[in-house]
Amino acid sequence: MIYSIFYKEWIKIRYFFLALVCLNGAICLKIWVDIRQQLQAEHAEMIWYQAIHIQSLFYSDIRYIPLLSGICLAVVQFVPEILQKRLRLSLHLPVDRECLLAIFLALGLGLYAVLALLDTAAIWAVSRYYFPVEIAVSSLTTFLPWHYAGFVGYLGMSLILLEPSWSRRVFVLLVFSGFISLLFSGSGYCRLNPALPWLMLLAPLFFLTVFQGGSRFQQGEVT
Amino acid sequence: MNPAIEVKHLCHQYGSQTIYRDLNFTVPTGTICGLLGKNGQGKTTLVNILMGFLKPSSGRCLVLGDDSFHLPPSTRARIGLLHEGHLAYEFLTIAQTERFFSGFYPGWEREIFFDLVNKMGLSHDHKICRMSCGQRSQVVLGVIMAQNPDLLILDDYSMGLDAGYRRLFLDVLKDFAALGNKTIFVTSHIVQDLEKLVDSMIFIDKGEIIQTELDSFMNSFHCYDFEDGGELSLAKDEVIRGFEQRGERISVFSFADKETVQSHLDSMGVHPKKMREKKMSLEDAFIGLMGKY
Repeated sequence: MIYSIFYKEWIKIRYFFLALVCLNGAICLKIWVDIRQQLQAEHAEMIWYQAIHIQSLFYSDIRYIPLLSGICLAVVQFVPEILQKRLRLSLHLPVDRECLLAIFLALGLGLYAVLALLDTAAIWAVSRYYFPVEIAVSSLTTFLPWHYAGFVGYLGMSLILLEPSWSRRVFVLLVFSGFISLLFSGSGYCRLNPALPWLMLLAPLFFLTVFQGGSRFQQGEVT
Repeated sequence: MNPAIEVKHLCHQYGSQTIYRDLNFTVPTGTICGLLGKNGQGKTTLVNILMGFLKPSSGRCLVLGDDSFHLPPSTRARIGLLHEGHLAYEFLTIAQTERFFSGFYPGWEREIFFDLVNKMGLSHDHKICRMSCGQRSQVVLGVIMAQNPDLLILDDYSMGLDAGYRRLFLDVLKDFAALGNKTIFVTSHIVQDLEKLVDSMIFIDKGEIIQTELDSFMNSFHCYDFEDGGELSLAKDEVIRGFEQRGERISVFSFADKETVQSHLDSMGVHPKKMREKKMSLEDAFIGLMGKY
């Protein structure tokens, strides 16, 4: 049963997921090429000055890519389900609605995690190659809110798509957009580190809201 | 034996618009019941309520003994559901569709699925999104039949189908019903198809229903035809259930016998000459009872 749901979801997502892998890979490649070219063109002291004193992030090109990836995964996964209310086909299957949605989300978030790991590994490798380990480590914690934004973006877009009422959709959009903009606030290294554990405590709440959207979709509530 | 479907005091509204007011009916196990009504009378809404996709304003629906709004997975496994428009996962191929659905039903009959689908002569790698409406309906029918359900709920199975696919659908449904103890609840716009299929019918109009056996309805509902020179306007009442005028030709539809209708018309100042009973198909009777508009 679980295998069947994974199977269908994978068929639906697979080409788009590969496209996202290519996009994330291409951005990482660009970051590597840029820093390599910069090191060849400028003095190392200048690069150091920019990286440490100005806190200019050499990997800032990837800043919004996790969010874009999360939103795209949710769109690819849930748009075919809500067109003509096709999700009713799955909701009629002999499986609990919560279990069904949990498997949907598990696959979506699992694939998102693959992209996040790919980006993290690539940035870590480039950082370690050209900079001291402290900068490489700080890149991971600087990166974390962006990954979290992708996670929240995936859940937010899933909820918006499942939600049958337009007024609630707008409300959800405002709440999630506000939260995500918080995750992108500030600049430099590890800006959100002190607040991040608290912000991450909200993750289960975001996860559970999608189940509420699924319930309202099934009930056809439009008020 | 418990009825397959039992609807008690069902009310539903969309905003201020009342769809049903105190709807009550049952569909006994092992019967084929057709739900007929004009567009916008709430046929699909009723199917959605029966399948738990819509919460009714009040009242209760039991499907195979369970509350329709909280159908457990074990009960859903016994219900084959055809959504309006032959809803299917269009990104799947025929083979992928079979593989996906087979994982949910322990009694899945693969041969039944492929027997139906192979009639189209398409490759099993053919995607659903590249199929015609008729071809897609075959795949959907294959999925439903391979589940070997106890109850079939078909929401407008005939939508978009040509005569050949409709006939194929009917043949499969008749064979399914012949297996015994199988219940079919069907809505369709093609009324004459249902005449060959159903045991009983539910007419739904303006939130109210008439439930009747097919034979009993066809024997008790009459069309009386006569000519009248002028423009007539007859209101519906206990005797006159429908009225139609085309030029000088007038048809009156009624559950009453000819003499009763004749005297009723006389009392209204209409004096039909040469009134005769006209033979009707189910479609004629449906239009007579429901009206054209």
